[in-house]
Amino acid sequence: MISRRRWLQLLGLSGFSSAFAAANGSAALKPFANASSLWPLDEPDSLPAFEEIPASKSGITWTHTAGLSPEMYMPETVGPGCAFLDYDNDGWMDIYLVNSGPCDFYTPPHPLRNALYRNNRDGTFTDVTVKAGVAGSAYGMGVAVGDYDGDGLPDIYLTQYPHSILYHNNGDGTFTDVTAKAGLAAPGWATSAVWFDYNNDGLLDLFVCRFVDFDKSKNIYCGYGAENKRWYCKPTVYTPMPCWLFRNNGNGTFTDVSKDVGISKSPAKAWGVVAADINNDGWMDLFVGNDTVPNFLFANRKGRFEEIGLLAGVGLSPFGLARSGMGVDAADYDQDGWLDLFVTNVDHELYSLYHNNKDETFADAAPGAGISAATKMLSGWGVKFFDYDNDGNVDILLCNGHPDLMVEQRLQNVGYRERLLLFQNTGKGWKNLSAQSGPIFSRALAGRGMAVGDFDNDGSLDVLIAQNDDAPVLLRNHAGRQNHWLGLKLVGRKANSDAIGAKVTYQAGDLLRHAWKVGGGSYLSSHDPRMVLGLGQRKKVDWVEVKWPNPSEKTERFTELPVDRYITIVEGQGGWK
Amino acid sequence: MRTPIPITVGLILVMAVQAICYGQAPPKSKPSLEAPSAASSEQGVEHAIDLAAKGRCQEALPALKLAVSRPPAKQTAANSSGKQLEYRAAMAAAKCAMSLNQAQTAINALFILKRDFPHDPEVLYITTHYFSELAMQASQELAREAPTSYQAQELQAESFESQGRWDQAAAEYQKILDQNANVPGIHFRLGRVALSKGDSESDTQEAKKEFEQELKIDPSNAAAEFSLGEIARRTGQWNDAITHFSIAAKIDSGFAEAYLALGMSLAAAQKFADAVAPLEKYVKIVPEDPAGHYQLAIAYDRTGRKESAAKEMQLQRETAAKAPPSATTATPQ
Repeated sequence: MISRRRWLQLLGLSGFSSAFAAANGSAALKPFANASSLWPLDEPDSLPAFEEIPASKSGITWTHTAGLSPEMYMPETVGPGCAFLDYDNDGWMDIYLVNSGPCDFYTPPHPLRNALYRNNRDGTFTDVTVKAGVAGSAYGMGVAVGDYDGDGLPDIYLTQYPHSILYHNNGDGTFTDVTAKAGLAAPGWATSAVWFDYNNDGLLDLFVCRFVDFDKSKNIYCGYGAENKRWYCKPTVYTPMPCWLFRNNGNGTFTDVSKDVGISKSPAKAWGVVAADINNDGWMDLFVGNDTVPNFLFANRKGRFEEIGLLAGVGLSPFGLARSGMGVDAADYDQDGWLDLFVTNVDHELYSLYHNNKDETFADAAPGAGISAATKMLSGWGVKFFDYDNDGNVDILLCNGHPDLMVEQRLQNVGYRERLLLFQNTGKGWKNLSAQSGPIFSRALAGRGMAVGDFDNDGSLDVLIAQNDDAPVLLRNHAGRQNHWLGLKLVGRKANSDAIGAKVTYQAGDLLRHAWKVGGGSYLSSHDPRMVLGLGQRKKVDWVEVKWPNPSEKTERFTELPVDRYITIVEGQGGWK
Repeated sequence: MRTPIPITVGLILVMAVQAICYGQAPPKSKPSLEAPSAASSEQGVEHAIDLAAKGRCQEALPALKLAVSRPPAKQTAANSSGKQLEYRAAMAAAKCAMSLNQAQTAINALFILKRDFPHDPEVLYITTHYFSELAMQASQELAREAPTSYQAQELQAESFESQGRWDQAAAEYQKILDQNANVPGIHFRLGRVALSKGDSESDTQEAKKEFEQELKIDPSNAAAEFSLGEIARRTGQWNDAITHFSIAAKIDSGFAEAYLALGMSLAAAQKFADAVAPLEKYVKIVPEDPAGHYQLAIAYDRTGRKESAAKEMQLQRETAAKAPPSATTATPQ
């Protein structure tokens, strides 16, 4: 007879101012413009939390071309990524968008390129890609931004199929492709990447997610239904490949240490990665979202990695099966002092919010948070924990979209384009505020990469969504301006220059909060490197404490701080500017 | 008493096929007093198969029945032709019996074919068709003989359910309750329909109400208890889930999924020591399910039984590797 197990499956059981101007690395500081001069603090209540800024206003007219083909090569449907970065160090977030490009399975009918948009400081952007020289050279996937050489300028690592690129920032508005010298080509199909300091030597190393063993000759026909119609394959049919870890040698070159440190022992089908110290031991760990193989939790054992995902409870679904892990992120959402994790999956798999049990194990809190129910039919990619309303609690924004164009013919209640989701952290639980947060939450998107950054410097973190085969979506956040805030740019000296791994604790009246600066997170994307501390209605910050990542071993406390503006804190200088 | 899961016409087919797959072979026919020689016996069977092929089933069937009633020959290179003969005879017997409307003989022959040729596509095909026909006949007979019976209405409702016509299914079930408010099983089915309709809070609340109503009529309905547990589990209400799953397992000690769900909920509530027993029970009942091994590995690990955890995790890997692909998985061509 039909088993009750099948009934279970049918039920769906089966189943997160100032800027360095000098190109020579000296810290010439100048104040940020006060964003409130552009947009008043007091907004009418009618403004949505997130407002879409159309291309006609922003000037971002570039669109992604996937090159969707009858052969349905998998890379076509999974990109692209995007980034907020301040490439010219003027204190305003610029935008980088990744496109597809020529490779063995795709010859674009017209030239394609990535796009770098300079922030004009008035809500508009100018395309500076050609001058900057960051157009890409192959089938682009994602982007990771980091100052790997400590010169105070953000560099760009562009992941591509079949090889990636490191663009070194020259400090004059241009970049140089230094991939060959650096040794970071990472041949194969690279997806997300993250800069972080794995060996605590104060230099940013690079972890690169690798997806499956793929080239044109290995493309597989996946058919569905009586007519055996072709669709984009579920990646079970492809062979997993190990990810890369590159150690920064401190001289512009990198060494592939994937084998030496234990990364390559774990064949991956990796989409997303976040670097975060999940066990508070002072060494940055890695959480990797894998598709149809278990997610990885690489615990950093003083420079060597032990993969502990399965028994940590983050590798598999509750039913002991690998899901389609895609975007990931980390934050201490409940302020218990331990970083929690998030992973998005595909429809019918449910997303997971992993609460840290403080012993290298996690418990999935998504069902009680209402996240399981809300994501049952969705397929998630970009995900980020951030305090969108500046109330002091980190919230979650998710962008969704199914990877298979044919999905609506195969499955009921699952769409190719899907809506965004916003979960507000009330401090006591979660509220799905998607329906109340603006018209954009009613629009179905082919969402993939998602970056968070404050492009208008109002302290209210904005959002950039990269769509597959469509135009990007830029969202201005109005919700954060209802509260007070303090923005921090942290600059490491002994610690890595981007201060990845720093812990910031702050007190504002009765509000005591802490936040970690994690590396990466989301999907194929890179974020505003500044931290925004939400204060709620409190108009004063009593103190801010920065615990710099190793090898610094410094903790510095700052008082007499301003609010509603960005400041820069340089490790060891004992003050802020 | 265990409350059966509602069965649609399609599911009847599944049940029938599974009965063949996993059931006992039918009792043997009365053996002949004097065994013929092998050669003459084979000739007789060949002759019967030949007759059957010519449509002379009345003449062929007695010899075919006799042939299929003999114990299966051990398969060796020497007697592979004997095995082939057994296959052809049983197939001919099944087809003849079907054409002559001799259900018991047909079923016996199909049982033997499924036992001795379990993966043969023709065997699976003919079995599916025959039981489909039987199911159709039975449902037509029910409609003819007792059209106003609640069983007929229930079958109609189940048919709507199988087609995803939730409102019509609910209306049919409601008709049964209108006639007799205390028919067991109907509120449970209404609860299931409500859950099938959607994932909205109102659908869930409606389902919950129906399952609770079912338990008032039939407190021994383990499936209703399980469903209430599942509603709680899906929203992270671990204590409620634990209570309902515990009762479901107590009502029906063979309800494997109740043990798994109980163990999962206990583990989710961080009650790992308590989770071990139900999960151990589950993996004994369903050793091929990676879910049980995974959850048990976690429970062992969190209670300090590292070696046992590693062993269960290995079993998870092995069973997951053999797990059938999900419904959404593509089939490479």
